[in-house]
Amino acid sequence: MNRRFSCLVATGLLVFCARARAELVVEITKGQADAIPIAIVPFSSPEAAAASFDVAQLVGEDLARSGRFKTTDRKDMIEQPHTGASISFDDWRRLNNDYMVVGQVQALGPDRYNITFEIYNVLTRQRLLGYQFSANRPGLRLASHQVADMVFEKILGIRGAFATHIAYISVLGSLPHRNYRLIVADADGENPHVVMQSNEPLMSPAWSPDGQSLAYVSFENRLPSVYVQFLKTGERQRVSARAGVNQAPAWSPDGKKLALTLSTRDGNLDIYVLDMATQALTRITDDPGIDTEPQWSKDGQSLYFTSDRAGGPQIYRVGIQSGDKPRRLTFQGSYNARPRLSPDESHLAFVTQEDGGYRIASMDLRGHGDVQVLTKGHFDVSPSYAPNGAEIIYASRDRGRGVLALVSADGRVQERLVSSEGELQEPVWAPF
Amino acid sequence: MRDFLREYSWAVVVSVLLHGLLVGGMVLAALISARRSPPSLQPLPIDAMVVDSKVVNAAQAAQAARERAEQEAARARAEAEANAKAAADQAKAAADAKAIEEAKTTEETKAAEAAKAAEAAKAADAAKAAEAAKTANAAKAVDAAKVAAAEQQRLADAHAAAAAKAGAQKAALARRAAEADLAEAKRAADANAAAAKAADAKAAAEAKRAAEAKQIAEAKHAAEERARQEREAELRKQLADEEHRAAVESGPLRDSYIARLRNRIQTAWIKPPSATVGLDCLVEVTQIPGGEVTGARVTQCNGDAAARQSIENAVYRASPLPDPPDPALFERNFVFRFKPNE
Repeated sequence: MNRRFSCLVATGLLVFCARARAELVVEITKGQADAIPIAIVPFSSPEAAAASFDVAQLVGEDLARSGRFKTTDRKDMIEQPHTGASISFDDWRRLNNDYMVVGQVQALGPDRYNITFEIYNVLTRQRLLGYQFSANRPGLRLASHQVADMVFEKILGIRGAFATHIAYISVLGSLPHRNYRLIVADADGENPHVVMQSNEPLMSPAWSPDGQSLAYVSFENRLPSVYVQFLKTGERQRVSARAGVNQAPAWSPDGKKLALTLSTRDGNLDIYVLDMATQALTRITDDPGIDTEPQWSKDGQSLYFTSDRAGGPQIYRVGIQSGDKPRRLTFQGSYNARPRLSPDESHLAFVTQEDGGYRIASMDLRGHGDVQVLTKGHFDVSPSYAPNGAEIIYASRDRGRGVLALVSADGRVQERLVSSEGELQEPVWAPF
Repeated sequence: MRDFLREYSWAVVVSVLLHGLLVGGMVLAALISARRSPPSLQPLPIDAMVVDSKVVNAAQAAQAARERAEQEAARARAEAEANAKAAADQAKAAADAKAIEEAKTTEETKAAEAAKAAEAAKAADAAKAAEAAKTANAAKAVDAAKVAAAEQQRLADAHAAAAAKAGAQKAALARRAAEADLAEAKRAADANAAAAKAADAKAAAEAKRAAEAKQIAEAKHAAEERARQEREAELRKQLADEEHRAAVESGPLRDSYIARLRNRIQTAWIKPPSATVGLDCLVEVTQIPGGEVTGARVTQCNGDAAARQSIENAVYRASPLPDPPDPALFERNFVFRFKPNE
């Protein structure tokens, strides 16, 4: 009896010990690529003047357009707090909000506004950020994009690019009375400014690394020439007007050189590097095929470009030191062109042909060169990475008209940019 | 008797121990008082140990005390004779031998037996010690007859030793001491008899007490047995629960619970761009019955702030967590490990 009893005790201890050891650990290996639900509560704006501009609306649009956020409809908001102290977190959580932004716009003077806002994690009730800054009436748009940038960065951990710019070509009219315009706009397509216009084609805009200048190709004398234009003053300089083709300018990372496509007398296109200070020209490729659309690597030591040396257009990489042999990067499909590097150089975006259409694809440069087709259109061309690498802007066609569109770098989200008039082509995203 | 002992073995042992303690305490008291009167008595502490063990023996066999005393006396006598002879040889003094002869009573012979041990004792000191011990013993004779007897032995010891050493010169002294011893021994013998009598009475009382104790012990035992059975039953139940838990936890139900938790969390986790292969984060989760998450804390994590936040949010978004398929599987605290494989 006693022995049995002590056996019982011993077994009980063993079981207890075994239980204490087996802590429940559940491994999570997958997640969702869903948009994060966020409420951007309308900012209080007691003054009528401020009320004419809806900061929260613009912030919400920015975030929603990125595809990474899902904004709560205003009509679903039970209340509209303007400070963290007046938030009923349980209510906002019940409406499935993970985050919320509250803020105020106050008029400081005739044309001066103070913007105050806070970001909250509804689930943990933590205040992630509180910030305030001032702006004049025209500056409220930029200020709103900056608010969106801060929200984006605070929650996703990557810098927002809403307060940046894009440049593109807009073509109006039809032959023979066409009008070509080089336009710079906000990243959301709003606030467009014509930088240059011509009755002859304008092509291939390229931002200088400091975002102060644009290089482009103009046919204004019926022959293609490469110009560099300083945006603040409009002052411009023709940097290459050699016989034959002058096209596809690309700035070196230090902003001192341009890679260009030039032709020899017999019409063979090759890649050259032009030192803008000395006008010294260095030939990079020498091949009977067409070599064009160069793009610099971040260290300025090599160029990615398109070449049809193997038959159809494919993407190659070559070092700029003399004698380096180009190495082919793309092998899938018969058409891969216009390479553009992501800011962190982890991916290469380009145009690929698939099912008879042109689409934006990206290649993972870190692994085995896996290629993912990001878009689904029939004529998606001219990719250009946002400076944070999160999105790619590109030219597409919608019912026969050229439009601008965005796709997230992972291809998950596609958005159409509000397009101004004309046929829009060759968008390029400015640096930060 | 044997049956009685077997039946009340515990009671007997306890009572014997208690008596031993009692007697020991008294001896200690006697020693302390004995020590107080003479300025220095080196052998006393050593002897006290001897006495102690004897006292314990005496208590154990209270009824046989008298007989044993006699037996011991006889034995001691023989020993004393031998010892005395040796002593006489050494001392080469007739007076010595005479003294030993005179000290032929029980305690005297015992004294002679231990004589060798107490070489250093001075005769005068020994005498004084004998006096002191005698008074102490006399005072406590009824309760501690054995102690007194032992004291006597010791005194005789000291005397004999002294006599042996002193030789012819101290023959007279030794004689006086031996005479004193004799008186002491006689008194001690009387005390012994009284002690034996007392022991008899004690034994009777003890028997009575033991009978009472038996009744109490029986009742107690019954109660303990009941309590033990209850405890056992309770433990059996706990054990059964634990076994159930263990069975459930190692079985398919647990797997299914884990799968449900995993699904819920994976559905709720909106991965930030930084959460890719290589991210490895632990989040400690506390839930209450019903599955409501009351705490989520990222502990170890190699990810950025956005990744940590997305993980905490995933846990809160998943609240309430699914119920376990078996209530035994409910865990208040557990850990999710976020380790994306894509």
